[in-house]
Amino acid sequence: MPRILGVDLPNDKPTHISLRYIKGIGPTTSLEVCEKARVNPQRKARELNEEEVARIATILDREYVVEGQLRRQEQQNIARLREIGCYRGFRHRRSLPARGQRTRTNARTRKGPRKTVAGKKGVKDQK
Amino acid sequence: MGRSIKKGPYVDMRLLGKVEKQQRNGSREPLRTWARDCTIVPDFIGHTFMVHNGKNFAKLFVTEDMVGHKLGEFAPTRMFKGHSGGKLKTPSGPGPAK
Repeated sequence: MPRILGVDLPNDKPTHISLRYIKGIGPTTSLEVCEKARVNPQRKARELNEEEVARIATILDREYVVEGQLRRQEQQNIARLREIGCYRGFRHRRSLPARGQRTRTNARTRKGPRKTVAGKKGVKDQK
Repeated sequence: MGRSIKKGPYVDMRLLGKVEKQQRNGSREPLRTWARDCTIVPDFIGHTFMVHNGKNFAKLFVTEDMVGHKLGEFAPTRMFKGHSGGKLKTPSGPGPAK
């Protein structure tokens, strides 16, 4: 199993699929990377030799924002929104949806598990 | 969907005029405005605005980071003080923090 950029261990899938296990690499960039590294995207990841792995790694390093760097960038973008005191920043602070979605129902991804409030209408129905 | 690039950012021309006037005479008085939909352009940096939120005017000092946002994003129109008889935990709802 080849290791690319430290932690990622893509598996027995075709190269272009296993590259997608790297954060920041999706279907399109994955194929792009294969082309740039002159690697057959259909070949299994475990068949890659060291030289090919090295080529992929350098391309990812040079041309794409992936993994830790990408995570940092995301965090910085959110931190900026929080700092300037804009509406989206408030929504992030309160961990509520930031793009105008409804919150009367749903929005569970942001709000987390339901917290039932006693005496509220509909509590009985939920049971 | 975003706004067409062709059109450029929407800026309230009357407000921009006032900002330019301030720049000429060097005054930094807060500018009262109802133009919540006006994009913050680099010319606004360092100026203070009073943005209407439907009831009051929220004071806003524009910094570089705010360029590209709309004035209204900084003047919340809703105030949520928590539910009645709710937990003691008070939400740090909209309102300039810091």
